[in-house]
Amino acid sequence: MNKNYPVIVGGGPAGIAAAFELVSNGVNCTLLDESPRVGGVMFRGPYRQGVKLDYLGIKFRHSMEALHAQFASVQNKVDLQLNTRVVGVGSNSRVIALNNDERIKEIPFSEMIITTGCHERSIPFPGWMLPGVSLLGGVQLQIKSGVVKPMGRTVVVGSGPLLLQVSCQLVMSGAEVVGVYEASQFSKLAREFISLSNKPQMILDGVSMLSYLKSKCIPIHYGWGIVRALGKDELNQVMLAPYDQNWFHDLKKSHIVEAETLAVGYGLIPRTQLSQQMGLSHNYNNDGCLTPTIDQWQQSSQRDIYVAGNLTGILGGEAAVLQGRIAALAILRKRKNISKEMAEERREHYKTKLIRVMRFRQGIDRYSFRGPGLLSLPDAATIICRCEHVIRKDIDNAINQGVEDLTSLKMRTRVGMGDCQGAMCVGYCSDRLRQETGRKDVGWITPRFPIDPIPFSAFEVAKELS
Amino acid sequence: MNKKYDVVIVGGGVIGAACAYYLSKCKGLKIALIDSKRSGNASRASAGGLWAIGESVGLGCGVIFSRKSSSINVNEYDPVAAKTITPHILPECFFNLALASNALYPALHEELREVYDVDFKFEETGLKFVMYDEEDRHYAEHIASNISYLSNNLRWLDHNELRDSEPYISHEAIGAIEFLCDHQVNPFRLTDAYIEAARQNGIDIYMNTNVTNVLRVGQRVMGVVTAEKGEISCNTLINAAGSWAADISEWATGIRLPIKPIKGQIVLSEKLPRFLHGCVTTSDCYIVQKDNGEILIGSTTEDVGYDTATSYPEIATLVKGAMRCIPELRHTNVKRCWAGLRPGTPDELPILGLLDGMDGYINACGHFRTGILTSAITGVITQSIVCGEPIPVDITPFLATRFNGVN
Repeated sequence: MNKNYPVIVGGGPAGIAAAFELVSNGVNCTLLDESPRVGGVMFRGPYRQGVKLDYLGIKFRHSMEALHAQFASVQNKVDLQLNTRVVGVGSNSRVIALNNDERIKEIPFSEMIITTGCHERSIPFPGWMLPGVSLLGGVQLQIKSGVVKPMGRTVVVGSGPLLLQVSCQLVMSGAEVVGVYEASQFSKLAREFISLSNKPQMILDGVSMLSYLKSKCIPIHYGWGIVRALGKDELNQVMLAPYDQNWFHDLKKSHIVEAETLAVGYGLIPRTQLSQQMGLSHNYNNDGCLTPTIDQWQQSSQRDIYVAGNLTGILGGEAAVLQGRIAALAILRKRKNISKEMAEERREHYKTKLIRVMRFRQGIDRYSFRGPGLLSLPDAATIICRCEHVIRKDIDNAINQGVEDLTSLKMRTRVGMGDCQGAMCVGYCSDRLRQETGRKDVGWITPRFPIDPIPFSAFEVAKELS
Repeated sequence: MNKKYDVVIVGGGVIGAACAYYLSKCKGLKIALIDSKRSGNASRASAGGLWAIGESVGLGCGVIFSRKSSSINVNEYDPVAAKTITPHILPECFFNLALASNALYPALHEELREVYDVDFKFEETGLKFVMYDEEDRHYAEHIASNISYLSNNLRWLDHNELRDSEPYISHEAIGAIEFLCDHQVNPFRLTDAYIEAARQNGIDIYMNTNVTNVLRVGQRVMGVVTAEKGEISCNTLINAAGSWAADISEWATGIRLPIKPIKGQIVLSEKLPRFLHGCVTTSDCYIVQKDNGEILIGSTTEDVGYDTATSYPEIATLVKGAMRCIPELRHTNVKRCWAGLRPGTPDELPILGLLDGMDGYINACGHFRTGILTSAITGVITQSIVCGEPIPVDITPFLATRFNGVN
């Protein structure tokens, strides 16, 4: 462990791009990832050896291979530490990580690039915890990394481009998709044509996914969404209904579909546990999520701490790569490995591309902007915080008793006090409190050390730490 | 916006909440509670121990406090090395205050549950000081000899009796001394229970509202200025601002109370099956299992200003102290660690009551390590003063005028 190395947390597209840019310009670095392979959620690929992902399409395979090849070309200059979860922040420019042997180690850094990505937004509705109901990205991970095909008839609900993408991948991998339910109206998408035309290839990809699903006779219902999942011990049926423009469902027109798997994808939330623990400044984005503030070099509010990728707002893999490279350029410039002029010139080059992605994404975000109707899905008895078994009625009571912010809601109801530290319930709770109070800032769940639970026994080696 | 109240309480931690509750039971008083969520709120980083004797004889987090303040060189990584300390016993006036407060909880628990449907999870647990060696026994004997008048509340357990009552405690333990009247509550629930009951009784609650100044005419407090809600007038201001109480006192009276934040870090386990029936303290740390199964381990005592970061060496010390006492913890997970800022005073006693020469100002602050325990009696005392009723305990030792420069 070299304390003169920049440390990159997260080996997804942003982290790999940053490592590549650094090493290509003479700066070795440390790359930490919690999983056994680099690539991130998007391009990690199968955990098992010998699996070809051809069933996800040639294009996906090529993108994945290109990323892994790029990393392989610099890997000998990267101190790669896999199965290493960063769980906190130590003193004197160190992060605290739990390694493969479930021991704590402190990892020093000269600069840090945080690329912790995002997690999925859980949407509570009656039956959302039944076996067979999963989040959309989780289902995608099953077919990509776990190489497990979801069981039986599969219904896909949600909003945004991931919905089509995963639906196609499910069909290609042999799953039986019986219906795709997009919450927003198709006409709303058409209105975003100018924004979307910033990325013509993405439009083409979208069109080809649509025609692929059409060719397989998979019905796509626009302006429809989830009402509830039904089943005694596991999922048997899904109740769906038309959504109005604010995503309130019309129960009178609802219908029921027999299904064994339900994939739910109503959005993603930047994973800010580490950036919050670092004490970086944060703000709320248009989606209501907490994101770290950044300057034009991807630098956070603290010197030498950079952030890139979906952590800074959900922009996808291409933007993550550009942001990772810009963060690396900032370090190279500071260390004088490249000239100031060269760094700025290249940053502008990346920035131009990034702006096009951002314009495209703004169109997508307006299209799939989460309607307040989703908050009406849970019943009084629906669990909102599954770690602490907090039901909607508990949250209603707390709000009626004057609770206006997340910290008070946490103290009053125990939402966010469980093992996941609010990753599951923060979306609902934040949306709900913002809707009830009309305020933009109702706080967020403050992550505590350790970010993930760690064994007591992990502390037994502490003597060896300096 | 100018609102007018009889009483404004500044601070919605457990002390402000208790004052709000007891005052809200007085008919005809118009009351406001003003709170802002600040990092380090001590009520949110409490173990919830009602350790009337334990705290008075310097156990609980007092153990680490006295170890720090004694001159012995402590090896941070080896709790076993820290030895040869004498108990840090508080003056008798504190015992009286603590025991008077402690006696209120069983009835308070009933009342809040029955009248207001809120439950702060009062549990009769006892507090055991677990001894590993003769040094610890010597320490415990020293405590017992100092409080012989409370001997009815003490019980000695040998190794076998300790293992019978707490089977998960290490074989290494030679025995324990138990304080039979020391129990526990859930500290979040207690604070919320007071506030919710007070709300049902009709007080106004200003959440997320920061007091930025106090309005004063001559020696009379007239109200407070807030960043979010403008001026709020009152006849009486109650300073329950915890670690931030010195600012309020300075704005209200021109005198800065000697209160400063004393950081305490705590460790919380995942939810576990019943490992402990009662509260436990050793010479390394205290360990309690809460009503939901989480085990809470505390706590450090650090004079580092308004810093609320957790730090690895301190957390590791607590974790190892807990594993030594309950070896089975080795196979479980640490879920969360955090820190609170105790409102520390030089003599470790709270600051209560009126301030000579000031009208409309009452102190209810400086509760250091024992705010949860003494919240109830602080509420009662404050209510008695506001209503002009006789105060049930002698608060002379707790008046601010005991400090030089405050009279």
